[in-house]
Amino acid sequence: MKKKNQHNLVQLLLFGMLIFFFAGSNIVEAQEKSEPQPVKKYLTLKYFNVANRQQYLLLNAITKDDKGVSPQQNKKFSIYIDSNDPANLIATVTTNKMGAAKAFIPPVQKAIWDSSAKHIFLAETDMGTDDEQTQEIEIIKSKITIDTLNEDGVRSITAQVMKLENSEWVPAPEVELKIGIVRMGKILSAGDEPTYTTDSSGIATVELTKDSLPGDENGNYILAAKVEDNDELGNLFIEKTVNWGVPNQIDKTFFNQRTLWSTANRTPGWLLFAAYAIVIGVWGTLIYLIFQLLKIKRLGRVKVK
Amino acid sequence: MEKSNQLSEEQIIQDLLPQKFGRRGMIWTAILILFCLVGAYAYYRQLRYGLVVTHMRDYVSWGIYISNFVFFVAISLVGSLITAIFRLAKVPWRTPLTRISEMIAISAITFAALIIIVDMGRPERLLNLFTHGRIQSPILWDVIVISTYFCISLFLLYVTLIPDIKIMMNVKDKITKPFHKIYRWLASFWKDQSDQEKIRDRIITILCITIIPVAFCIHTVTSWLFATTYRPGWDSTNFGAYFVSGAFLVGAGGVVVAMYAFRRAYKLERYITDMHFDKMGRMLVLLSLLYLYFNVNEYLIPAFKMKKSEASHLTQLFSGEYAPMFWFAILVGMIIPIFVLLFKKGRKPLPMFIVGIMVVVGAWFKRYLIVTPTLLHPLLPMQEVPESYHIYFPSWEEWSISLGSLAGALLIITILARYFPVISIFKTLEDEKEKSA
Repeated sequence: MKKKNQHNLVQLLLFGMLIFFFAGSNIVEAQEKSEPQPVKKYLTLKYFNVANRQQYLLLNAITKDDKGVSPQQNKKFSIYIDSNDPANLIATVTTNKMGAAKAFIPPVQKAIWDSSAKHIFLAETDMGTDDEQTQEIEIIKSKITIDTLNEDGVRSITAQVMKLENSEWVPAPEVELKIGIVRMGKILSAGDEPTYTTDSSGIATVELTKDSLPGDENGNYILAAKVEDNDELGNLFIEKTVNWGVPNQIDKTFFNQRTLWSTANRTPGWLLFAAYAIVIGVWGTLIYLIFQLLKIKRLGRVKVK
Repeated sequence: MEKSNQLSEEQIIQDLLPQKFGRRGMIWTAILILFCLVGAYAYYRQLRYGLVVTHMRDYVSWGIYISNFVFFVAISLVGSLITAIFRLAKVPWRTPLTRISEMIAISAITFAALIIIVDMGRPERLLNLFTHGRIQSPILWDVIVISTYFCISLFLLYVTLIPDIKIMMNVKDKITKPFHKIYRWLASFWKDQSDQEKIRDRIITILCITIIPVAFCIHTVTSWLFATTYRPGWDSTNFGAYFVSGAFLVGAGGVVVAMYAFRRAYKLERYITDMHFDKMGRMLVLLSLLYLYFNVNEYLIPAFKMKKSEASHLTQLFSGEYAPMFWFAILVGMIIPIFVLLFKKGRKPLPMFIVGIMVVVGAWFKRYLIVTPTLLHPLLPMQEVPESYHIYFPSWEEWSISLGSLAGALLIITILARYFPVISIFKTLEDEKEKSA
C-alpha cells in the first residue's frame, strides 16, 4: 500500500513538472513575442557587366522586422564611383515596389572609369538623417568571352575570364561560373556539373553532353557563360548563338483547321449549319408572317371595292 | 375583372383610350427628357474626348454600361413571359398585362442595343461586325439575337394593336384626333372581318411560339458573353439558366411596377384589379425562389471549394468591399420579396408596387455585381499598373448616360402609352362578350 502511494506521488510530481515546464516555456515564449524586434535595414549593391559592353549597378534595399522581410519602396539613393564627391556621382536613383533600383555608369565618368583597374562603388541615402544607410563594394575590371570547339564531332564550350592588372588583361584563375544553354530565362548547364572553375589561363571548357536540344526554326540556340556574385569581379554575362539545336518545325497546318477560334472564313461547318438554320428558320417565319399581314391588308381592300 | 361585367362597350372604349398627359404626366415626361438630355451631353463628351472620360481602364473594360445592358436584356424578357407563355398556356387573366409587358419589352430591348453602342469607343466600328464578323463569336450571336428579338417584339406589339387602332379611329375622340393620320397608316385596312381575324390570330400564335426560344436565346447568349470567358465568377456552366431565371424575375417585377403606375395614372382599377396583383405576387414568389436557387448554385459551390482564383472574388462579395451591395441585392431583390409576398396582404397593389421596385432595383445592382467585381479579380495578378486600375467607380458621364438610358426606356413606354391603349380594348371587349355569352 505504501509502495503504491509512493508510486502515485512520483507520477504526480512528474506530471507537475511537465505542466510547470510547458507553462514556463510558454511564458518565456510569450515574453519573447511581446518584445518587438527592432527594424533592421539592409542595403546591397551589385556590379554587372553584360557582354563586356553594358556596365551597371543594381541596388536592393529591404527591411526586416517581426513581420518578415519587406522592400524599402520609393527610397532615394545616390551612387558614386570611388568617393562620395559630387563629381563622382553616377546617378541618384529611387527604389521601385520591390525595393530595387538600377544605375548605368554614365559616359561623363569615363575618365574616372579609365583611370584605374579597381573601383569602389558607394550607395548612400542623404547623410545626416535618421535614415542613414550606406553600402560600398570594390571590383576589379574584368571581361568574359565565350567560344566553341568541335573536335572529332565532340562539341565543347570554352569561356575565358580576364581581369585588368597594371593596364594589362591577365587571366583570372579560380573563378566559378555557369556555362550552358539559355533555357526558360535561365542557364541549363552544358555538362554534368552545375558550375565550373577557370584554370590558370582563366579558361573553363565544358563538353556539351546535352545534344538534340530543340532550337528555333533554323536550329539556333543561345549559349551563355555567367559569373555570379564574385567578390572581386562582380557579375559577368556573355552569350553566343550557335546552330547546334534541332530545328523546331512549327505546325502551321493548325491555321487551316476549322475551329471556334479560327478566322471568319474557317468557321466549323456544324456551327455554320446551326447558325444559318436558326437564322433562316426564325427570319423565314417572320417573312412568312409579313406576307400574312399583307394578306390581311389585301382582304381589307378587296371588301371595300 | 371584378366589376367589368357591368361595363358597356362605350365605357370600356372610353376608359381604355389613350389619355392626354395631365400636369403630373407633363412633369414626369419633362423629368425623363431632362435626364435624357444630360445623358446625351455626357455621351457627346464621351464621343468628343473618348472613353477616357469613363473610369473604365485596362482591367474593368465592362463597367456600368454592360451592367445596364444585361439589366435591359433581362427586363425585356417579360414580353415573352407575359404575352407568349400566358397566351399559349391560355391564362384567363392575362389581358390587362400583355400590352404593358410588350411595351416594356420594346423599350428595354431598344436601349439594350443602344447601350452596347455607347460602350464602344468607336461606335462607327459596329459596322465591322457585319462586314468582318465571325459567326464563332458570342458577340455576333448577341447582335443577331437582339435585332431579331426587337423585330419580333415590335411585330407582336403592332399586330395586337391593329384592332385597337381601328377602334380609336372610329371613335374620333379629341384625344386621338391629332394622330389619326398615323393611325390610318397603321390600321386603316382592318375591317373586323372574320378572315382577317383568323389570319391575325394565326400570326399572333406563331409569333408567340417563335418569341419564346428567341427570348431564351437572347439572355442565354448574353450570359455566354461572360461564361465563355475564363474568369472567376463567370466560369460557370450554369450561367444560361441563372440569367434566364433572373430575367424572368426582374421582368415580372417591372410589369408589377408598371401595372400599379398605369392603374393609378389612368384610373384603371376596374381593369387591373387586386386579383391581378395577387396572381403576379404568387408568380414573383415562384420566380424569386427559382432565382435564389440558381444564386445558391452560383455562389455556394465555388465558395465550398474556394479555389485560389475564386477566393478573392468571393471574399470581396461576401465580406469585402462589395458585401453591402451584394447582400442588398440578395436580400432586397429576392429574400424580402419572398417573405412579403407569402402573405395575402403583401400581394395588395401598394405592397406589390414597393416589392416590384425592390426587385427591379435589386436586379440592377445584381447585374453590376456580376460584371464589375469579376473584372477586378483577373487570374493573372494586376502588376505595374496605376493605382486607379485597381478600383472602379463610374464617372459622372457614365452615371449620366446610364441614368439617361433608363429614363429613355421609361420615356418610350410613356410615349407608347400616350398614343396607344395600355390595355387591349379589342381583347377586353372580346373577353366581355365571352363572359356575357
